Formats: sequence, structure tokens, C-alpha cells
Amino acid sequence: MTPLPAAPVAVRGLRKSFFDKGRGEVRAVDGLDFDCARGEIFGLLGANGAGKTTTLRMLATVLRPDGGSATVMGHDVARDPDLVRQSLGFFSSSTALYPRLTARETLELFARIGGLPRERVRGRVEELIARFGIGAYSDTRIEALSQGMKQKVSIARTVVHDPPVLIFDEPTVGLDVLNALDMRKLIAELRSEGKCIVFSTHVMSEAEKLCDRIAIVHRGQIHATGSLRELREATGLHYLEDIFVHSVESAGA
Amino acid sequence: MRAGRQAGVDWRSVGVLYAREVRSALRDRTIVVNGILIPVVLYPLLLWVTFAGVTFVRGQTSDLTARVAVFGLEGRPALRKELEADPRVVLVPASAPGAAAADVKSGGLDAALEIAPAGPAEGPLRVRLTWAGSKERSAAARERLTALLDRVRERTLMREAAARGMDGPAFTLFTLKTRNVATGREMSRFLLGLLLPVLFVVMVSAGCFYTAIDATAGERERSTWETLMTTAAPRSSIVVAKYLYVTSFGFLAGVLNLGAMAVTMRPVTAPLATPSGTGLDFSVPAAGVPVLLAGALALSAFLAAVMMLFAVFAKTFKEGQAMLTPFTLLAMLPAGFLAVPGIELTFPLALVPVVNVSLVVREAITGVFRWPEIAVAAAASALAIGASLRLVVFVLGSEEVATGAVTGGPVAFLGRRLGGRRRPAFGARVQ
Repeated sequence: MTPLPAAPVAVRGLRKSFFDKGRGEVRAVDGLDFDCARGEIFGLLGANGAGKTTTLRMLATVLRPDGGSATVMGHDVARDPDLVRQSLGFFSSSTALYPRLTARETLELFARIGGLPRERVRGRVEELIARFGIGAYSDTRIEALSQGMKQKVSIARTVVHDPPVLIFDEPTVGLDVLNALDMRKLIAELRSEGKCIVFSTHVMSEAEKLCDRIAIVHRGQIHATGSLRELREATGLHYLEDIFVHSVESAGA
Repeated sequence: MRAGRQAGVDWRSVGVLYAREVRSALRDRTIVVNGILIPVVLYPLLLWVTFAGVTFVRGQTSDLTARVAVFGLEGRPALRKELEADPRVVLVPASAPGAAAADVKSGGLDAALEIAPAGPAEGPLRVRLTWAGSKERSAAARERLTALLDRVRERTLMREAAARGMDGPAFTLFTLKTRNVATGREMSRFLLGLLLPVLFVVMVSAGCFYTAIDATAGERERSTWETLMTTAAPRSSIVVAKYLYVTSFGFLAGVLNLGAMAVTMRPVTAPLATPSGTGLDFSVPAAGVPVLLAGALALSAFLAAVMMLFAVFAKTFKEGQAMLTPFTLLAMLPAGFLAVPGIELTFPLALVPVVNVSLVVREAITGVFRWPEIAVAAAASALAIGASLRLVVFVLGSEEVATGAVTGGPVAFLGRRLGGRRRPAFGARVQ
């Protein structure tokens, strides 16, 4: 039997640059290293433009790395993008749902694209409809749902093919307090099922409450990594906001 | 750094994605109206309105009385009787032939007849008919007077022949009679051949137009592009599913339009058929049906590939419409020339995309099959489709297009590619 890879997500020296007319070559991601284990939520914490989304989009094979490597369940994102995508679910503010499909049709579609055997699709969809409380509007078209309802369907869409790795890119952006709370609860539940979750946010409280380990990202580089306790010990600071500012200022010094 | 190994086409994913595209499209009013309803309903309706309008105008003209000034009618009682007996001709007094000609030109009169005084009464007739070709009423007056004068001339000749103890044809020495050997079915096919290829290209274009935008720019506008690109479906399967979706709607629009036109042509053109008494029959020859279907498929496959090539650069439906409209007009241009009779499928024309298929379709409707030229047209179409598809795959394989970060249209993209600058300018998206 083939041994399972130690870390479902492993990133080593990952780099990505863009050409910008005004600024020329921009290093969006500049040598990132991190791992994410099963049953762990690994948070990328950084300001807008820090390189979080670019990193996650490389993991999801939307972008190609310029250098370094990243593997998802042992598959290299550059060499085996199709196998990588089979192993993960990707959720971001730019992954909307098809407005003219119902919630149920959406889940069936992504279950089938995700490779779930046809005979398992119906059962899995019903299971998620019950679990995410979608039943009341499961046969309503997405275009008629509220933002909160759409987010629930979207999370269900992300996990419908039961991937071992989940990537959440600022999943609570645009949600009200209660919906954001629901979202965090769902993500925490997924961790308890043993999913490997890479999570990006710029909201300190969110990272504090949800992430097992946090990487502070600034200008495409990781300046500190560890659990909240480890970060507190390393910096002598209590609040994550202070730790973040300290790390970013140390990097600039 | 290019993405690594690309999996081949996964036909199971293609089927699932294609079904999704079709299901969504059938719930989209714009696509249903433009891709299905208009081909079936609107063009036959427009044709009916046009034919009915033309017939109505002609009817109005034929009911009008021709105002005619006649000079030199004295001593021509037979001709006078004939003119006065025709209820659609009214004799109008005029001062002089010159003034009458001016009146005809200005529209005050419809025609003027000058009968040259020549010898004894009821002797040889020399008549000059003045009319204005730019006026419908005057043209109608000319037709009536010519027919009336022909009848008078015929009777005069018969009478003279009888007076000389001869039969008519022997007396006149030279007679000309014309005969149209084309059957009603052949005439109908000729009419269809003039009309259908143009509408056919228009309809296939309309079928591909909205779906090509929906499958590319529409995905970006709805922010579903990245959702799709991060699924387990191989990219090649996504491209194939979208291409098949656009092609099938173009094909459907073309076939529906052909079918609707074939079914409705008889009642639509009935007002035209009645006056001539020709029994029109708009059935397409059986051998033409597979050729028509193959033509619809080839045309939609080509237009789908080219339209996707343009639409993939658009970020919104509006941008997509702006990018595709010039191409659509360009595609219709050669089809417009085909309405001119006399153009046939030749080897050089068989090499020109859109034109070749349009000509094959036109000739198939009329029952003409030039198989060597059709084979060349098929090969040329296959090459054009293959080349366009390769371009689509090449463009979609680029990171800036796949991520939706591309700026500008295909020309700007090619400029960057040929200029060697491969990295996209989307620093603003970095987070």
C-alpha cells in the first residue's frame, strides 16, 4: 500500500512575480515555505496585497508558480494540476455559483465534476443539504437566494466531492456577523472531520479564534509562523494584532 | 513556467459540463429568444410581412387607373374603342406631345401615346409610348398599354391575313413565343436558394453569438469562471464542453431556421404565386437534407470556434457583444453577395470559409451537387475549424486569459505574445 504523504499541503520556496506597467516586475510571492497537516487550519494572515490570494491561487492551480514547489496530497501543482484539483476544494469571493441552477442542481453538478460516482451523488447531496440547513431553499435558483444562503451553498459546493484539502480565501468577506459566525463554525467542523484547511484572512480575531497555526505574510514573505501561543511566546505580546504589527515592522527594519 | 502535464479530454466531465451549459442556457431568456424563438418565428414572420407588403403595394398599383394622353387618334376608331373600353385606362386631354412628356415626367400623367399620321385611316399604325421608368404608376401604365396595343396589333394582322386569304402566321412571317419550362418546384427551389443562405448564416451566427459570450465573458461577469477553473475537470474538457455547447446552439438555430422557412414558405409566398398561376413547391430534395445538415454543422463549428476566440477576451457580456459584432457582420458580408444569382460553387470559392458552406447550401436546395467542389469545401472547413480551435486552446492555455486578468483584445494579446512579454499585468489582483 502506498504510504500517504506526511503533509497534505507542502510549500517550499514558492515564488510568483507579475509584470505591472507602472511598477514593472512585482514579486507577489517571494519564497514561501509552510505545511498544513490533516485536521489543521493553517492561516495566512496579512494585509491586502501581501500575497495571500496569489499563494492560494497557485495551490489551486489557477496560477503557475515561477519557482519553488507546492504539493497537494503529494501532487505537484505545476506538474499535475488536474490531480491537485481532484484533491482540493477552493472557496473564495471570486468563486460564485451559477445563478440559473438551483442549490440542489449546483451540488449535483460539482459532485459529478469532482468525480463522485453517480450512485453516490444523490446521497451525498442530500447529506449536505441536511447538514448545512439548505433544505428550505434547495430547489430555489441561486439567483433568488440571499448572500448568507449563497455562502452556505457555496461551502457545500466546495466540500461536496469530499476532498482531503480545503482552501478558504477570505471566506467571511462581505458577510454579516451572524453569517460570518456560521461560516467559522462550519470551517471548524470540517477541521474536526480531519480536513487539511488553508485559510487566508486579514481579520485578526478570525485568525485567533479559528487557526491552529498562523503565518504572518507581508510583501510576499512569511515573517512569523506558529500557533498563537508560540507567537505570543516568541514576541512577548498577547494580542495577535500587536504580534502582527511587531512582525511587519521587524521585517521592514 | 508552463503548467505541467495536461490530462486528455475526460468525456464524462465534458458530458456533465455540457449538460450544465445547456440547462442554464435554456433558462436564459436572451439565449432562448435569440437562439430558438427568432429562428423559428421571427424570420418567417418578417418574410411574410415583406411579401404581403409587396403584394399589397402591387395590388394598390394595379387598381389605379392609368391616366393617358393620346395624340393622333382621329381616324382610328378601333383603337379608340379598345382604349375607351379598358376600365383601367382613362384618356386625359393634353395640349401637345411635348407638354404631355413633361407631364409624364412630373407625374401629372402616367403615359402618353403618339400615333403617327400615316396614310389612310385604319392603315399602318406607328405608335410612340412615353412613360417614366422611375414611377411605379407610369410603369404599370406602360405594361397595360403595351398589352392593349399588342392585342390591337394581333387582331389587325389576323384581319389583313384573312383579307388576303392567308392564315395569320404565314402572313406575319416571323413570330416569337416564349415558354418557361421550369416547374413550380424548380422555381420554388430557385427562390429558396436566393433567400435561405443569407438567413442561414445570420441564424447560425445568432445561435453562436450569445452562447459564445455566455460561455466565456458571461462566466467572468458572474464570477463563476474561477469556480469552474478550480474544479477537478481537466481544462481540456472544459474547453471541449463549452465549444460543443456553442456549436450545438449555432447548429440548432440554423436547422430550426431552415425547417421553419421550408414549412412556412408556401403560405408566405402564396400571394406571389397566385397571379402567375405557378404552383410553388418548396420541398427540399431528399439528397439535399444531409448536405444541409452537414453544412449547418460545419458553419456552426467554424463560427463557434472563432466567436469563442474573440469572446474569451471579454470580461462582461457587453464587452463580448462589442467584440463579436464586427466579426458577425464580417461573416454575413460574403453571404450577402450570394443573393446575387449566377454565382456558383467553384474550387476557389470552396476554399473561402462561410462562403463555401453558404454556396453548398444554396446549391443543395436547388438540387445541384458538385461533389468534387463540396469535398474541397468540406476539407477547407475542417482545416479552418481545426486552426480556430487550436487558437482557442492556445489562448485559453495562457495564464492571463485563464485567470481573466487579460487586458485588451486578441490583437493586444498576440502583440504581447509575439513581443515576448508573457507575464500578465495584473499586479492589482495580488493579495
